[in-house]
Amino acid sequence: METRATQETESLIQLTVDRVVEDSNTDTRIIVLVRSDGGTDHFMVWVGSSEGEAIKRALDAAVTPRPMSHDLVKSFGEHLGIKTDRVVLTDVKGSTYYATVFLENKGVARTIDARPSDAIALALRCQAPIYVTQDVWKRRSGQNLDAWLSKLETKEA
Amino acid sequence: MITQVQVKGLMFDPYNNAYIVILRDDEQSEMLPIWVGKSEASSISLALENVAPPRPMTHDFMKSYLDAFDAKVISVVITDLNENTYFAKIHLTYVDSEYTVDARPSDAIALALRSHAPIFASESVIRKQSSEELDQWLENLKPEDFGKLDS
Repeated sequence: METRATQETESLIQLTVDRVVEDSNTDTRIIVLVRSDGGTDHFMVWVGSSEGEAIKRALDAAVTPRPMSHDLVKSFGEHLGIKTDRVVLTDVKGSTYYATVFLENKGVARTIDARPSDAIALALRCQAPIYVTQDVWKRRSGQNLDAWLSKLETKEA
Repeated sequence: MITQVQVKGLMFDPYNNAYIVILRDDEQSEMLPIWVGKSEASSISLALENVAPPRPMTHDFMKSYLDAFDAKVISVVITDLNENTYFAKIHLTYVDSEYTVDARPSDAIALALRSHAPIFASESVIRKQSSEELDQWLENLKPEDFGKLDS
């Protein structure tokens, strides 16, 4: 089991969510991910404001009086015994990213398609690793955006 | 005692830039307003209009998650009202067992609509918020009244 999981993920790059940046001009949020192996390049995903806030709450380990949507999904998992194994950013078309969530329950594995925002918001709550395929990593937009991002953050600060 | 309710529509609350989901019982005698955020309202609205968004919304993701393991939403119940905050429970079956999970009413309603599951409200919730009171209450509403309503 362990070996198989390793093989399945060896062509993937593991990512860590670094921060959530507010783009106040468009009321969107930018999820900034970095390579878990210490590489310096960023991977950025644009999400809606409520999706961005859901990810920020998980990063901050914020406790809300009532469960928010992704807390509810986590709660379903806890009740039913479903484990979130990992999340993979599997495709990009134009500037739209696609993700797959790998779930497991008593040896039964299932995958579901998801928006990266939902996948990441759930992964952070379940301490599941986040990966990107080599192909999507190469095709990521934003190589030239690091400068722009720092400008945006400076403006906010 | 619980009463089955239907989602009658969504109203915009301009004071708080929020939305109100209107629930009504089948006899149309009681009305239950529930304040929800913009993204929750849009998710409920898409389900009401049976519109498939270009990308699955969070509640579609939630349903996919349950569908992947054949877990079924049996019903949702708006169970309690405490200081203007509503609480809900989602009843599920999975394999041979039943499960009850605490949720916000907005998530419960959005998921129920997508699962074609009935929505109920407990008598106590309806009693606390009868429709006559609601009319009066809506009339006398001040912006600051909305502060802690975030359903």
